[in-house]
Amino acid sequence: MNILGELAEVTRTRPEKLKEQREKGVKIVGYIGRFVPEELIYASGALPYLLCRGGQPEPPDAVIPYMLRFMSPYARSQIGYHLLGIDPVIPMLDLIVAQCSDCHESRLADLFEYFKLPTARLGVPPDWEKSLSRDYYYKELTRLGEKLEGLTGNKISDEKLKESISSINKIRDLLRKINLLRKEQPPPIGSDEFIRLNHYSFYCDLEELPPKLNDLYGQLQKGKSPFPKGMPRLLLAGHVVGVGDYVVPKLIEASGGVVVAELLDEGMRQCAWNVKTDGDLMRNLVETYYLERTPPSIFQPVWEERVEFIKKLIRDFNIDGVIWYGLSFEEIYDLECSIASKAMDEMNIPFLKLESSYEYAREAMGPLTTRVESFIESIKQRRS
Amino acid sequence: MAKNIYEDFLRLNGFEEDEMSEYIPEWRKACDKLGLTEDDVKFSTEEQLPTYFAVELEGIRKLLGCFVKEIIDLTKANEYKEKGVKIVYGILPTILHYYYALKLTAPDKVYVSFPDIFLTMAANTFFHKLNPLLEEAERTGIPYGCRHCALNKTRYAARRLGIIPSPDINWIWGFICDEGPKTDEFIRIYHDPEWKTYITRIPHDQPLGTVEDEVVDRVEYLANQMRDGFESVQKEIGIKVPDEKIKEVIDTWQRYAAKLAELNLLMAADPQPLGATDGRLFWEPLALPYNTGVESMERALDITIREVKQRVANKEGILPEGAPKLMVYNASPTIPWLAKMFEENGVGIPFSEAFTLAKKQLEPPTFEDPYMAAAENWLRMSMAVNPGYQAEQICEKMETHKVDGLVLGLMDFDRWLGSSHRLLARMVEEKTKLPVFYIEGDIWEDRDYSPEALRTRIESICEIVKMRKA
Repeated sequence: MNILGELAEVTRTRPEKLKEQREKGVKIVGYIGRFVPEELIYASGALPYLLCRGGQPEPPDAVIPYMLRFMSPYARSQIGYHLLGIDPVIPMLDLIVAQCSDCHESRLADLFEYFKLPTARLGVPPDWEKSLSRDYYYKELTRLGEKLEGLTGNKISDEKLKESISSINKIRDLLRKINLLRKEQPPPIGSDEFIRLNHYSFYCDLEELPPKLNDLYGQLQKGKSPFPKGMPRLLLAGHVVGVGDYVVPKLIEASGGVVVAELLDEGMRQCAWNVKTDGDLMRNLVETYYLERTPPSIFQPVWEERVEFIKKLIRDFNIDGVIWYGLSFEEIYDLECSIASKAMDEMNIPFLKLESSYEYAREAMGPLTTRVESFIESIKQRRS
Repeated sequence: MAKNIYEDFLRLNGFEEDEMSEYIPEWRKACDKLGLTEDDVKFSTEEQLPTYFAVELEGIRKLLGCFVKEIIDLTKANEYKEKGVKIVYGILPTILHYYYALKLTAPDKVYVSFPDIFLTMAANTFFHKLNPLLEEAERTGIPYGCRHCALNKTRYAARRLGIIPSPDINWIWGFICDEGPKTDEFIRIYHDPEWKTYITRIPHDQPLGTVEDEVVDRVEYLANQMRDGFESVQKEIGIKVPDEKIKEVIDTWQRYAAKLAELNLLMAADPQPLGATDGRLFWEPLALPYNTGVESMERALDITIREVKQRVANKEGILPEGAPKLMVYNASPTIPWLAKMFEENGVGIPFSEAFTLAKKQLEPPTFEDPYMAAAENWLRMSMAVNPGYQAEQICEKMETHKVDGLVLGLMDFDRWLGSSHRLLARMVEEKTKLPVFYIEGDIWEDRDYSPEALRTRIESICEIVKMRKA
């Protein structure tokens, strides 16, 4: 898995590279959320940087003097590192595009502005079935495009946008092919590495990444699976596994299970859907980003559709059990978890709810490990 | 004993002798439906209401009576549905004109309510007994640990327990929090496929300090959402509301609001003539639709104004003259001990920020179109907008009412309304140089934040304010 090591290194050194680019006059645009199309940022000549960190308890705690304690630790993390003075990227960003699809994200945007960070909000109406809402998102993307043009001084031409859409489609194609390899028994790549791979894909240059993904796909096709046959195959569902929040995926694999599919709203490439490159490109972005992809939990109505999607993943990937990875105080996912749990119960699919506040001290790890191990053990016993 | 305690309760709540024969059996029936025992009614009559409400005033007794009548009515919602009356629900906060206009248009054909808040008020304000509903929700899919909103849990539990029927339409204004509308999706999928909902949403995406009611695009979007929602509701229940009914509602609303403004002025008298919870209760008809109407509430308000004027003339107050006063975000009657605790410590909290109108809210609308006017009105409300604009409005209200400081918080179940308070505290304090306090707590229920848990915090706030004022 040398390629993954290389990509990890590219990701690790990305802030330095961005700094160099910035010194050459390239604008750096941070962004939060799946509804901010990187395509637009690239087409404006700026470089995107996904803000998606998680997995440590101190950054969310650093936000408590400014925000309700009962807010998502993931949302709080996105500014928490900066407040602690340990975020190398935020201080050099020329713009932060903050998706506002729920209260947690909007409050995060409030804090960015309160701390005088250059912020542009992108409103995403959750009542997604109405044409009113679709038009709203379209207008928001148009405004964002204008903002980026103003920032960079570059016109977002159709040609540039088409180029960036094609480049990102290529990355999605390759990730999709790699993802589908996970249908094999045993899969050639586990969730820990697949989630990381998704993360790395946001921090590599557009030209550099596809050949590496292609090589990786070739290696995975030919190589031997690192997992023994017959390991319980699991689905990991929830809001997000943030960059750096790898404890749970690793723990699952260390406990004898392998995650072969995810339903995670953020931090993943949503690689099953490509943006069309002909016709009205902005409309195409709206079509794919807002309407085609699996809708996030905050959309309404959506939970029945998402349960159906989980059922499809269970069938397609031959899944034995579902692990729900919840983050503390994310009220919408908490409600959805009950719905998913009930549906899995009706299907006789084992379901485990985990909840994290990014507290992975030894005291917290003991009970967490026991729960995951017992869950996987119980699946093994069901099968035997 | 059984007969007497129900009768005593109604008498305490301002029921007239000639109403007793009708209402005693109805109240007993309502208590059975709500799971209230004789002991609960006795507790309310002998302890809760006399402790926290100025029941010596006729106006306050009548006001409480209006709630009781509405609660009785709510417990009949299942019967209404069986008789073919259309059931329309909503959630806090909304602009009520549309709900009242439905009722005015077809009084016998439609039942309107925000059942969760009425049940929460009934259970906690009168009986301090919301827990059974909350625990029912927590046992059955809305976990305790995530700090979900008590109103949402109550709505769900009330349906589960059969206290309320499925609505013909539940028009959910999701202009504030996410959990409200998503709870309705939850109820429909998890428990009741008949729980029909129509939602209207708007993203919170305005930069800090934006005067949102002046952003025409935004007003227009919101107006379209309101129009879309109201038209869908009318279509769903087959009742067409003529424009004049909306106008009639607006006239009633404005008349009532003007009287409330008068009461608010009286609340500013020194010494403070009436407890904060009593004053705050009168605001409910501006926040919740009353299926039983607002006429009797208005009569109660008239009586109270008269009585309070007398107290002011007599220099009679619940606090000594010159006592410090704070504005509080929301002195909800559902935890009536909160205001009482401040008052017992020599500090008044006569004004609730969320229920105090900013100057701009009293200005006439810029738009003639009723939906544009309603949307503009909505975006003039401090709770509906970005914290920069909200902080400006709070500062203005504090200046208008000459308060000595502000208490924020007590909203930790709400990821929108409660999540900005720490930031607001900083903004308001920076601008006014007055002390702003934050209390972690919950205005709907007090299982986690009991009076004893908050006593030290409240006592120290009062000490600080008194020292500053001395």
